[in-house]
Amino acid sequence: MTTFLNNFPILAIMTLFLGAFLTSLVGRRFAPARNVLVVLSVTLPLAMMLALVKPVLIDGEVITYWMGNWAPEAGWAIGISLEVDALSLFFALIVTVAVFVSALYSFTYMNHDDSLVNYYTLFLMLSGSVLGLVLSGDLFNIFVMIEIMTFTSVALTAFRNQQEGALEGAFKYLAVGSLGSTCVLLGVAMIYSQLHTLNLAQIAALLPEQAENPVLLAAFAFLLVGFGSKAFLFPFHPLAADAHAVAPASISLMISGVLTKCGVYGIIRLCYVLYQNIDLPFVQYLVTGLGTVSMFVCVTMAFNQHNFKRLLAFHSISQVGYVLAAVGLGTALGLTSGLYHAMNHTIFKGLLFLTAGAVQHQTGSLDLDELGGLGKKMPQTCLLFLIGAASISGLPPFNGFASKWMIYQAAFEKGAETGNFFFVAVCLVALITSVLTLASFIKVAQSVFFGQYNEKFGQVREVPLAMRLPMWILAALCVAAGLLPELVQRYLLTPAVNAVFGVANYIDQAMGAGYAAAHGIVETALPELAEIGCWDPVSWLVLLFCFTCAIAIVALLATPNDLSRVPVSSAREDGEALDAKYEPFFSGEESVYSQVGGSDLFWGFKHNWRRYFRLMHDWHSGVVNDYTLWAVVAMATVLAACIILL
Amino acid sequence: MDAIGTLLWNLFYLLVFPGLLFSVAVGLLLAGLDRKLVARMQRRVGPPLLQPWYDFLKCCGKETIIPRHAKRAIYLAAPVVGFVALLTVSLFLPVMGFTAFSTVADLVVILYLLTLTSAAMIVGAAASGSPFAGVGLSREMVSILSYELPLVLIILAVGRVAGESVGGVTFSLAVIGEYQAANGPLITHWSLIPAALAMLFVIPCEIGMHPFDVAEAETEICEGTLAEYSGPPLALFRLTHAVKMYTMTALFCALFLGGLTTGLPVLDAVILVALCAVLTFVTMSLPHAVCARFKVEQVFKFYWTVVAGLAALSLILVWLGL
Amino acid sequence: MFDRWMDNSMSKSPWIFHINAGSCNGCDIELVSVLTPRYDAERLGFRLTGTPRQADIVVVSGPITLQTRDRLVRTLAQVPEPYVVVSLGSCPRSGNVFKGSYSIDGPLEKWTHVDVSVGGCTPKPEAIVAALAKAAELLAEKRKEMRR
Repeated sequence: MTTFLNNFPILAIMTLFLGAFLTSLVGRRFAPARNVLVVLSVTLPLAMMLALVKPVLIDGEVITYWMGNWAPEAGWAIGISLEVDALSLFFALIVTVAVFVSALYSFTYMNHDDSLVNYYTLFLMLSGSVLGLVLSGDLFNIFVMIEIMTFTSVALTAFRNQQEGALEGAFKYLAVGSLGSTCVLLGVAMIYSQLHTLNLAQIAALLPEQAENPVLLAAFAFLLVGFGSKAFLFPFHPLAADAHAVAPASISLMISGVLTKCGVYGIIRLCYVLYQNIDLPFVQYLVTGLGTVSMFVCVTMAFNQHNFKRLLAFHSISQVGYVLAAVGLGTALGLTSGLYHAMNHTIFKGLLFLTAGAVQHQTGSLDLDELGGLGKKMPQTCLLFLIGAASISGLPPFNGFASKWMIYQAAFEKGAETGNFFFVAVCLVALITSVLTLASFIKVAQSVFFGQYNEKFGQVREVPLAMRLPMWILAALCVAAGLLPELVQRYLLTPAVNAVFGVANYIDQAMGAGYAAAHGIVETALPELAEIGCWDPVSWLVLLFCFTCAIAIVALLATPNDLSRVPVSSAREDGEALDAKYEPFFSGEESVYSQVGGSDLFWGFKHNWRRYFRLMHDWHSGVVNDYTLWAVVAMATVLAACIILL
Repeated sequence: MDAIGTLLWNLFYLLVFPGLLFSVAVGLLLAGLDRKLVARMQRRVGPPLLQPWYDFLKCCGKETIIPRHAKRAIYLAAPVVGFVALLTVSLFLPVMGFTAFSTVADLVVILYLLTLTSAAMIVGAAASGSPFAGVGLSREMVSILSYELPLVLIILAVGRVAGESVGGVTFSLAVIGEYQAANGPLITHWSLIPAALAMLFVIPCEIGMHPFDVAEAETEICEGTLAEYSGPPLALFRLTHAVKMYTMTALFCALFLGGLTTGLPVLDAVILVALCAVLTFVTMSLPHAVCARFKVEQVFKFYWTVVAGLAALSLILVWLGL
Repeated sequence: MFDRWMDNSMSKSPWIFHINAGSCNGCDIELVSVLTPRYDAERLGFRLTGTPRQADIVVVSGPITLQTRDRLVRTLAQVPEPYVVVSLGSCPRSGNVFKGSYSIDGPLEKWTHVDVSVGGCTPKPEAIVAALAKAAELLAEKRKEMRR
């Protein structure tokens, strides 16, 4: 039985790639056949990953698959392997769920576009590459997958190339993205030159013996920057904004929910498993610092955006900043909260991008200054957006609250234990960022869904069920992951964290028992997560109980109108004769279209920060040369710092 | 039998003692006291002590008009959500020695529930579709941004001091209470005095009392966030406002004046109400009678420089172990 | 019981919304003086509000000019039931010295029901307080009528 399950990882990857080729082969003629193919090739991997949950996450096995059965020979891994531990599977689950939802959404969402075969082919290749990346046990294969991932996502970004800025966004992404890929390649080459192996497990076993080797330190820096660029961390963040603003919403979901997670996955593998240097203060400062800077800079950048999806793009990086800040703490609680937030981020940001897509699909606009009042026209989308916004702002009882809270606690505990003020500052920045996030989502809510609607959008209707269904799936996940943190932790997070800290087991499973011990890597005691500080669900049940009581009381008071004998009156929807009674109070003037635009909100805040915003405005010049320069400077800085300080 | 007993007790907590009845009564009392005190300071007779209660009832008896641009369901649900979130806060607040519910990190719960209350008001305002409410909600959000930083700094400083006994840091009001019971109220801890001062400033801004009521400036932006609200939803918002007075002052008591208990819950409650009344006078009535309303950018600047500075000073002192 | 409470408090907490329908500002100043420490209308629960949605007593001053007429009617329509209209000063009653002007479209009765009116140019603050107190009583009666 287990032997059969061993084939699932490679089968899942192959299904997606095969689906991509078959789609372009068959789908050009028959649209239904194409759709069936797409559905099959996104559902099968999801099913396979779910089948792996039992052995990997619950029983704690590590599934190793040697391609062509080229098992290690005399302690040297010569073949290419897939190695699926709980961490890989955790990310694979995120990936497959996101791919599934995104494909489901695409069918209706993309119906205004043509040459859809190209879209689905690229989409499936992107999905396959991402899945291959997280399941791979081989460093060079990770690079290959990163390359496929980058190029397909660049092509998909430019898919609506009739749109203004589509080619520009794609070009920036291509230029700076390939710089990031090159960093990864360079790092891989350096590691290979020193260790003569590309297998992750073997590298993990051999590396700590040569921890002082400067070439390997340089490789560390290159890999960190390379993976960071794939997660669009701080100096790479303008790319994401440009790409997201023009990409179709289903692809934005993939870029923000899946691609950035690959970067995070890479950094976790790099710091915790390969180099095992996360205990060094320098690495902690580096990773946490990068995360903190990203989360703060991007949230303030999001404050100034006028484009719905651009704003979401900046928030996406801001949330990845949270994840990285938590991962960089190096504690079990930090890693748990980071992984939890990574998962939640995929869910709520996916939901938000899909609602943005729904708005774009129905109105053709993403301009926050132009939209408004859509809540009456698209009530379900509005509700879904509010759920997503509450999640990302960390309002209880949604999932963002649970994971953000764990991040604060992890950071502050780390600070209190080490007496280091840096981590307290991280906690503080995280809390402030959370409030700023709330503020900017209130801006979106006010300028897209509330207020008054532009006459231009008078005929807007709710999106069809086929688009609402994927959004409802994600919204349900938001609530479920928020209300059942204990289950999530027990079945998803703790196994993944244990897998990360159980490096010796990871090595032994691939290279044969005793290999790790022979290279001085001892089985460490698994971290104890006794006082996780996670919220007490009882209090939330109390809250929910309160809610139901209150709503029941209100319902009782409101329905038999003779109890209070006061009418609740509202305007008739036919809107023929405009009764002045129901017009908004406008100091007595006749009601005219008047919507407080997105850019006018929060003047009092922006005014005090005008110097900062002006500086940010000047820095984000939109010129690809500048962004490349940033990337090179970041690379050089990290490289120099790693070699000098490590 | 036990289960039923627990359930009944929980219901009692929820509906009577620290929950609905008690907090609403104390909140309305404090609101009335505030108006009376301001009047007395201006040499007026002032409204009766029960004025907020009459206001609440009167609003309940009026017609509810839902404007044409409003999003009906959210417009009506927002006040309920805000009020319930605030009531939940009161369940976690200790009444001197007595606490109804307590969790590992109830301070964070409280922080977020307070934000939820304000967020509900903002969403309600947004859903009413009025341009005045649009301006009001943006100001409300800026004032949330203003007080959130100092409030977080204060909580970190207090948590650090009280957390020494449990190793590290605590976000638990129960632990903070125990620490104060053993070592005296935290306000006597000299390095926390700036934080206590900062908290005194945070209270009126969080409630939206007069010099900081930029969001509801009735003279400039027609009641701002509440511009379109009438009838029972408005009544609920006014009630939330009043209960917030109790919640915030009681939070101050829990953080800085805790640990004093007489052993009798009833007496404790009386002492708490007395303390809250004193705090209401100091933090709300006095500035109300003395100051004119701030501009929104002044509020932000004041809180991020002076108040946050005081709180940060405390945090640094505490961190250095002083 | 709750109903009775609501009825009783109706007269104890009347909130005032003030519409200036072309007044010379004399009555407006006197209305504000009613809220000063000297006359302290707040002791009766009065409070000025900024929006008609929260108003119980609408105080109109000035001789309804053509410019303000539509605004006045629109604003009065936006006040939730029950509410009382008070005409302040002579202008809204008769047009006062402006009577017969081409730009006047009064009196106030033409546009809405007037429940209480205070004469004078300008009325004394004592008279205004008395009128407001009367209006508050009328408010409670209106509420009772509404229930019937």
